[in-house]
Amino acid sequence: MEIDVRHIAKLSYLKIEDDEIETYQKQMSDIIQMVEALPDQADFDAKPRVEDAMQLREDEIRPSTPRDKLLQNAPQVEAGCVIVPKTLE
Amino acid sequence: MELIQKTAAQLHRLLRDREITAAEITDAVFAQIAACEPQVQSYLALTEASARKTAALVDQKLAGGEDLPPLAGIPIAVKDNLCTEGVTTTCASKMLYNFVPPYSATVVKKVEENLLPITGKVNLDEFAMGSSCENSHFQKTRNPHDLSRVPGGSSGGSAASVAAGEAVLALGSDTGGSIRQPASFCGIVGLKPTYGAVSRYGLVAFASSLDQVGPMARSCEDAAMLFSAITGADEMDATSCDRGHRADYRDYLARDVKGMTVGIPKEYFGEGIDEEVSSAVMQAAQVFRSLGAQVKEVSLPSSPHALSAYYIISSAEASSNLARFDGVKYGYRSEHYQNLQEMYVNTRTEGFGAEVKRRIMLGTYVLSSGYFDAYYKKGKAFQSALCAEFDACFAGCDFLLTPTVPQTAFKLGENIDDPVKMYKSDICTVPVNIAGLPALAMPCGRDKQGLPIGMQLIGPHFGEDVLLSAGHHYEQATGYQFTVPAIASK
Amino acid sequence: MEYEVVIGLEIHAELSTKTKIYCGCKNSFGSEVNSQCCPICLGMPGTLPTLNKQVVEYAIRMGHATHCTINNVTKQDRKNYIYPDLPKAYQISQYDIPLCENGYLEFMVDGEKKRVGITRIHIEEDAGKLIHADSFDGSLVDFNRCGVPLIEIVSEPDIRSPEEAHAYLETIRSILLYLDISDCKMQEGSLRCDVNVSLMPKGSNTFGTRCEMKNVNTFSGAVRAIEYEMARQKEILDAGGVIEQETRRWNDAKGVTELLRSKEDAQDYRYFPEPDLRTIYIPEVHVEELKATIPELPNQKIERYMIAYGLPQKEATLIAEDVSRSHFFERCLEGGKVAPKSVCNWLLGDIAKVLNERGCELGDLALTPERLVELISLIDQKTISTTSAKTVLECILDDGEIAIDQIVKEKGLAQVSDTAVLEAIVAEVLAENAKAVEDYHNGKTNVLGFLVGQCMKRSKGQGNPGLMRQLLEEKI
Repeated sequence: MEIDVRHIAKLSYLKIEDDEIETYQKQMSDIIQMVEALPDQADFDAKPRVEDAMQLREDEIRPSTPRDKLLQNAPQVEAGCVIVPKTLE
Repeated sequence: MELIQKTAAQLHRLLRDREITAAEITDAVFAQIAACEPQVQSYLALTEASARKTAALVDQKLAGGEDLPPLAGIPIAVKDNLCTEGVTTTCASKMLYNFVPPYSATVVKKVEENLLPITGKVNLDEFAMGSSCENSHFQKTRNPHDLSRVPGGSSGGSAASVAAGEAVLALGSDTGGSIRQPASFCGIVGLKPTYGAVSRYGLVAFASSLDQVGPMARSCEDAAMLFSAITGADEMDATSCDRGHRADYRDYLARDVKGMTVGIPKEYFGEGIDEEVSSAVMQAAQVFRSLGAQVKEVSLPSSPHALSAYYIISSAEASSNLARFDGVKYGYRSEHYQNLQEMYVNTRTEGFGAEVKRRIMLGTYVLSSGYFDAYYKKGKAFQSALCAEFDACFAGCDFLLTPTVPQTAFKLGENIDDPVKMYKSDICTVPVNIAGLPALAMPCGRDKQGLPIGMQLIGPHFGEDVLLSAGHHYEQATGYQFTVPAIASK
Repeated sequence: MEYEVVIGLEIHAELSTKTKIYCGCKNSFGSEVNSQCCPICLGMPGTLPTLNKQVVEYAIRMGHATHCTINNVTKQDRKNYIYPDLPKAYQISQYDIPLCENGYLEFMVDGEKKRVGITRIHIEEDAGKLIHADSFDGSLVDFNRCGVPLIEIVSEPDIRSPEEAHAYLETIRSILLYLDISDCKMQEGSLRCDVNVSLMPKGSNTFGTRCEMKNVNTFSGAVRAIEYEMARQKEILDAGGVIEQETRRWNDAKGVTELLRSKEDAQDYRYFPEPDLRTIYIPEVHVEELKATIPELPNQKIERYMIAYGLPQKEATLIAEDVSRSHFFERCLEGGKVAPKSVCNWLLGDIAKVLNERGCELGDLALTPERLVELISLIDQKTISTTSAKTVLECILDDGEIAIDQIVKEKGLAQVSDTAVLEAIVAEVLAENAKAVEDYHNGKTNVLGFLVGQCMKRSKGQGNPGLMRQLLEEKI
């Protein structure tokens, strides 16, 4: 089965060089082939189950993180904001 | 006997009886790190100053006659995908080479509250994806039993540091075998807890529905102690929960194996499993029988397909979890871009290693339009079928016994170019994650080359007590004693 | 060719919970940039969401108010796409099992009842904000809005005109306000909508290809966007062209829709169940308890105002669709002291005029229902005239302290019913307006009104006008 490696790379925001396409193609196909051998479970019900219910959080305010601490890892910061290349508006 | 050869439980008793100090233990561990680290290369970062500070605090409290948690003063290494406030957390990736989290993982906070000195952050396969630690961006950790071999992965740094005496305990994480496989390769004990038994808050996610943090230790008693310290529901993790167990799992260790039923799933002893490994595990079964347990063959017919389901589910979740690494908020940002799109693509292309990219691509593919039902949904359906098979086994067994890995530690570079072959080293461990069960990996002998062989005890949901007591009895019955291998103790 | 327009609306309403949907940070508007954030808001590695119970309850209440089926066992899903304002690179939303579905909404348009189906209501998180400064070569990202809870209300394509769309939006807005689950401040972006528009030949049952318009931030914008899109599509169809399914963006300043992306560029969101959250389960009993908290909604109020209070439909609607006005109205009627029609006249007359002029709301005034009742009672008791009452109103709009009788006394507004005083005024006015008196006797009886006016003027508005007229008729 042919996997559109270029399209998947685009969706993944990754650049795959031309000479790597074939390797990816092969390695991904190998795994997909393995996957296709999975038995069908026709009667499977994907609905969420009550037994798996989670506790919901009460609507109570907690302190936020000081801005400097929060943005200390950001590659580029100006005026208390993270900076990215201009987005199209 | 040297301090670095001792278990946490032994060290605890020495500390309690005031025969040694926490500072002495920490000294011994850092001396061992200085001696071995050039060969073993477990650590990505050392936190010696804060470790010594914690040890001093423990000694001060002990001198003041305070009652301390059992693991106070026992040095622990932390896998570098667990967030530590103020200390780099890299996931062994270029993408996070400089990331200093402004928060700590819940397990890290618990370890700190229990006054364990944290020695540092240890190596892993990038973002916990791999079985050899060779996928680390920074260094290749070696197996202390044979430096030409891998320590396993992804928690290879955790396993190697504990085995080499560079830490007494370690925290690892396990998505498909990442605690158990390296524990097996390095001859130590590793517990993959029930999904939800330990908080994942602050564990950098690989596959959220499969990831669990767990203890890596030198004995089942040590594992029980560390598990006691980290388990429990966390309000920061909606998937965590409590099952009303005792606060201290050591309370369960004395429980008799006599009368228990051990299931041997036949699918885990066939093709692809090394003869030496199967026979070592079968011998362990005999030990349980001699302890008064009944041993019977059971079947988990779906197991051979678990690896496929694992690759769908884990890759799908990983592709989404790792989409946030885009050079905007933290971590690596490419220097080469003209616009936003280029910044995203170049940052991710330069920041991620080959294996991570492969999994992101695979995950994106199985979730992409038109393929969701064929792959992801099918994987989830398989998951529920496998759970039902395990449930059926546990109706008649207390725990299941299997090999941990089909073989012993392989050489560096041996499997690196063949992902499918590499993935197959996870065939015994992956079904456990798919079913969300607890499993204990522990040594059960050596192969002809003297490399550790591991067995895996699989329990029902929240059956960690059963696994730890059975493992403990096995250690007692076989007179097992942890030793730091000679090669690393020089 | 004549076409019929088919419209469907997707409304995003920010919920007015105390905290965000997945963390305990404050849900507030207008704070300093990146000051209401934590590692969870920024999607930092290792952080996890915890779902706010209040968000689920608010959404269920909206579901009840719009006659939806409540899916009390549900889950959340991830919608994956990369953009700088979305820190996790996915939005936690709901895909195949929305919290509420299959409901409807009824409202009046041009005196007729209209019903629009509600396809679904689901919960999700808002994204951050991008700030564009011309002086700066780049965009700034403010994450404060990340994780603000939203409900998305999706209508069936049942709407057939821009007017119906406007009425639908107004109705949704008033219900949100009645339930007190959203402040609906459009200028702050708490209510936004995407509009789907298609045309089909009049009389046809087959829908045409639709275009989706994003970024519609005002109700009037929605109406103009629909009108623009109807014209654009008609032009293409009339020229024999075909409508391409595409996503367009409403440019409010230019009054046009612009192509955002075509169908081929449609994003692949790769939805899958959110693995960081378990099942959302609200026991049936609690779902019913929430139903019991739904207040009387505008439609029911309009009917009640018409039947019980005899208000005309127009007035009933004007009062009912404004939650603060209807609350004020009903509180005025609580003691049964004044006639509903009088309260209605004041609310829709002088008071509405002031609010309009000032661009503010009832709650911004110092005027309370009790004080308005007191004022109306004074008129009813003939203590002051309606004219004087308007003077008093001006004083008490912004001053909640000053006693009304004090104003009446100080400004000398009390109505004069002393016959001796009034007779003197009447005598003076008759003496000074001989021409009018003559006209009256010649049959022009309507000059009486003029003379009453003159008497009122001379009494500085305080004379009892009824009594004054009576005296004039006697003396003339």
